[in-house]
Amino acid sequence: MTAPSLSLRGGGGPLASIGRFRTAHRSISILVTWLIIGLGLPLVVELPLLRDFQPQVVWVDGFALSGIYILLALGLNIVVGFAGLLDLGYAAFFAIGSYTFALAASPQAITHLNIPFWPMLIVGALVAALFGTLLGAPTLRLRGDYLAIVTLGFGEIVPAVFLNADTYTRGTNGIGGIPQPQLPCIGDFCVKFTFLDPFPFFWTMVIILAVVMVIIYRLQNSRLGRAWMAIREDELAAASSGINTITTKLLAFSLGASTAGFAGVFSASKLGNVDPNQFLFVVSFTVLAMVVLGGMGNSWGVVIGAFTLYTIQSVLLKELNQFFQAQHVPILQSIDFVQYQYLLYGIALVAMMLLRPEGLFPSTRRRQELHEAAGGVEVTDVPPPTTEIGDA
Amino acid sequence: MASLSLRSPALKSTAIIVAALVVAFLLLGFPQFMNAMTLGAIYALIALGYTMVYGIIELINFAHGDVFMVGAFASLWILTTPLGLLDRPINDPIQLTGTLVIVVVPVMIFMGILGVVIERFAYRPLRHAPRLAPLITAIGVSFILQNIIQVLFGPSPHPTPQIFPKFDLLTIGSFNLFGLDVAGGTARGLNVTMIVVALALMGILQLFVGRTRLGRAMRSTAQDREAASLMGVDINQTIAITFFIAAALAGAGGMIYGLYFGSVQFNLGFYTGLKAFTAAVLGGIGNTVGAAVGGFVIAFIEVAAAQAGYNRWSEVAVFTVLILVLVFRPSGLFGQALGERA
Amino acid sequence: MKLARIGVLGVSAALVFAACSNSSPGSSSGAGASGGAGKVIKIGTELPMSGGETANGVPTQNGVKLAIDQANAQNLLPGWTLQLNGQDDAVNGVHDAGQGGKNMTSLVNDPMVVGEVGPFNSGVAQVEIPIANAAGLLMCSPANTNTGLTYPPDAKQYRTTNPTKISYVRLAAPDSIQGPAGADYVYNDLGAKSVYILDDTETFGVGVGDSFQAEFVKDGGQVVKRDSAPKSTTDYTPLFTAVASMHPAAVYLAGTTPTGMGLALKQGRTVSGFETIPFMGPDGVADLGDGNTQGSTINIAGQAAANVSGTVAGIHDIPDAAKFQTDYKAAFGADPGAYSAIAYACAQVIIQGIKAAVAAGTTDYAGIREAVRAGATAAGNKFDTIIGSVSFDVNGDTTSPYMSFYKTDLTLNNGVGGWTWVKQQAFTDPNASATLAP
Repeated sequence: MTAPSLSLRGGGGPLASIGRFRTAHRSISILVTWLIIGLGLPLVVELPLLRDFQPQVVWVDGFALSGIYILLALGLNIVVGFAGLLDLGYAAFFAIGSYTFALAASPQAITHLNIPFWPMLIVGALVAALFGTLLGAPTLRLRGDYLAIVTLGFGEIVPAVFLNADTYTRGTNGIGGIPQPQLPCIGDFCVKFTFLDPFPFFWTMVIILAVVMVIIYRLQNSRLGRAWMAIREDELAAASSGINTITTKLLAFSLGASTAGFAGVFSASKLGNVDPNQFLFVVSFTVLAMVVLGGMGNSWGVVIGAFTLYTIQSVLLKELNQFFQAQHVPILQSIDFVQYQYLLYGIALVAMMLLRPEGLFPSTRRRQELHEAAGGVEVTDVPPPTTEIGDA
Repeated sequence: MASLSLRSPALKSTAIIVAALVVAFLLLGFPQFMNAMTLGAIYALIALGYTMVYGIIELINFAHGDVFMVGAFASLWILTTPLGLLDRPINDPIQLTGTLVIVVVPVMIFMGILGVVIERFAYRPLRHAPRLAPLITAIGVSFILQNIIQVLFGPSPHPTPQIFPKFDLLTIGSFNLFGLDVAGGTARGLNVTMIVVALALMGILQLFVGRTRLGRAMRSTAQDREAASLMGVDINQTIAITFFIAAALAGAGGMIYGLYFGSVQFNLGFYTGLKAFTAAVLGGIGNTVGAAVGGFVIAFIEVAAAQAGYNRWSEVAVFTVLILVLVFRPSGLFGQALGERA
Repeated sequence: MKLARIGVLGVSAALVFAACSNSSPGSSSGAGASGGAGKVIKIGTELPMSGGETANGVPTQNGVKLAIDQANAQNLLPGWTLQLNGQDDAVNGVHDAGQGGKNMTSLVNDPMVVGEVGPFNSGVAQVEIPIANAAGLLMCSPANTNTGLTYPPDAKQYRTTNPTKISYVRLAAPDSIQGPAGADYVYNDLGAKSVYILDDTETFGVGVGDSFQAEFVKDGGQVVKRDSAPKSTTDYTPLFTAVASMHPAAVYLAGTTPTGMGLALKQGRTVSGFETIPFMGPDGVADLGDGNTQGSTINIAGQAAANVSGTVAGIHDIPDAAKFQTDYKAAFGADPGAYSAIAYACAQVIIQGIKAAVAAGTTDYAGIREAVRAGATAAGNKFDTIIGSVSFDVNGDTTSPYMSFYKTDLTLNNGVGGWTWVKQQAFTDPNASATLAP
């Protein structure tokens, strides 16, 4: 198992030194990368080809919305990727975050609280984390398969509760009129979050993603992160080594849920309304597909996977339909690609598991784990914990 | 030989089941009782598949509910395309039986093959992989099946030809028992036939598993795979047979479903499958009798909820049952204690 | 990294293809662009176009397309060529509010779009109205019926940015009219004095069920039971069995066939006591599809669809029905859908708004967009459309709501079955002379 091209072996010019800097100051590099993304993406879509496709504001709006899914994928990655717990009902925490904000802020809700966005971002995450603990508690003694089914059950129960408890949640009509974030003006300069201007939402999402990723990175390289890895690989051995599997698992659930809580509050504010149909099983499935395809355990891989899948789903597939119809390509023009979307996801999941279970952008550790377990190459040297590039 | 004294567990369980049925009959009334029995028969057939597969390779086959759905569509296709049947009852009993046989046999065989294919290509390569991999593959297969059917048949519900003539088999009048009004009604021939067919299939399965060599191979593989292979059991073949039978039963369930409910849709497998899985867990995963009983219990819970006006909560109720069973009594009603399964 | 490179290549390639195909996403040029050289001006549509909702969205969009093509052919806007910017809010075959919001953002940011027809589903409208309101783009829905979208005080909360500017109008009669129309029909015309109501827990179903129930009780009838069955319900028989002993004289299916009402009809009829009594439903059940149309009520229910009535929130007797049918069939090769003519009328409202703006001297897109929006609800403005003369009250509702009543007839179409029209009824708009609530 050789290290990939950038390593600590010294030499090699500017790229290598950036690499070394990256490794040594991981958190800063994450923040800088997101800064570059936040400033760069809106500029990139001004390029001629992309600009003809969609105006910049529509691109940026799409990025802000894709950020919601990226956030969800990062959170699920903690549960599935780091701790190896298959959570099939992740959308429940997303729903809890969204409804918490809706109940706290919308004039249509019976609670009439009017708490603004910024504190609710934290509160929503905390509420979701609380439910993460509550819903994770019954699953502690369960094996992988049963855990998956129970989480699936919760994923069904939570939206059903929101739907049926209509005295509190307005049932199927959902709660509308959810306000957007407000920022105080600095002198004459104001940042307004409106329905027409996606930029403030986009930058808020970039900041949230950057902060969340730094936190996740720190957790991953802490004792907790190593405990998660230990549970993922062999729970019995981990318990025997003195790891408290209960708190480790509960922390995985609650931290994953809190990320979904962030996403939920943001989504509620961006769309302006919540209703139970926004949180069905397909959401959990899509986020799972993003995590699996992106590379379970690798945060940047998951980010890329989530962004790619979202763009395919919301933009490209529909355009493919239009394109083939406009060009009158014989067979392809009568295919409704949108219909095939989930078929392709399903095939992709099966293919990934059979051929490349570590995902498209795996962490090296994960790749070792999965191929060794499948009877692959025996690992002779264990790479040092935090100093290898590619291990995210 | 098990003794037949009153203390024997088999007799005790049977007595409890009969008592429960009588109580349910009295509380629900005859028509709802028949509804629940038919629904239960369908859940039982699917639950058997879950329990058999889990018993032998300890994998929850997420795609099993969708195999049931494909079976329902396969029956629909056979009824409408080669047979060209319309939505008219077939009154001649011989012709009716013949039609049913012509439908159910190919459907069961085809579904069985589908089950074997899924196992061979999606699960067998991952038999030694970490638990997460085959679970994710199963979800992928589930979506693949759903979408293939959606592409082939369209997303709207499809009506199935109602070839069963309406005939009443048994009429019980309303009566009053100790101040409790018990609603009467008639049992339709369709209900009774479906229940009988399902029970017959379950009975055949029990005989197969209990008395034949292949059945013994299945039981031994489920108990201890390595020991079984040391005794000369071909593990791969045994697992393949298990999947074949499980899928065939689900296919039969699908045919019954289509004939009884009159409509099939591509997303049928998801909820029905989950409820059947709950039934299997409730009965004790790995235990075929338990799965059958569990199927009926879940059906009665659902029907009782509808009767009481709580049908909006019936899914929540079923999932809550699942969670409670898994947390407090993972071995289910009939299973042995599973012990700590870290 | 190789995989990543391939991935990036693939995505870029797809983007190149897509960019080469159209200048802006989702647009297709009007087929009858005879004038050719006119300045392009667009009407947007935002409808569920794929998956299970194709039968809802496609005929509706076709109605708009027909209006655009005929306007171009007749040169109704000299110097201008109309084009369509069509959007699809279905995700995995079901209408999705988030996607609708995205599409609306796309439409408002296309400067050439001066008006929009859609959406189909009230839940999607809730997300789109704030966006259109902020941008001042007129939305004309041919199908939304939820009262909260226009009636004060709820509607005001959707007009977050410009509370006094109405940018949402609709030509469909709201639930507050469709439910009571159904109730009166069941009580008077069908003569049933007791009814069992079953709704599908969706916004539309619950809304129309509530207004039906209130009116039926007011008429003097008795609602023996009201049940809700979510769309995931596969077995409706226990529900009907539970009600059988109460012997209702009719059943009202408050919902739509795609969310289970067709199945409820089929299974409900098998329960004794329900075999022959009349069933009634709103326009989600009265989809006017014949027995061969996949997913239609008659197709799903088969023989059980006998003796079923329904309301459609729109006019039936359009002045030139035969011509519309012929034109539609010639253009699209199929019969018009339930909302095709109404969507056509929405397009006409926008076209006439453009015409008035141009005549008044406005030639820039932004000005036309605002003029179209303001003109729709301006007091006294009438629009001459294919469904007759329409105008909108201060909230955006049509001032002349019509309900049409239909009945199933399984002998039509060589035994395949279809719907026949029974009658239509004009209702009064309760807010016709109101002023905009502060």
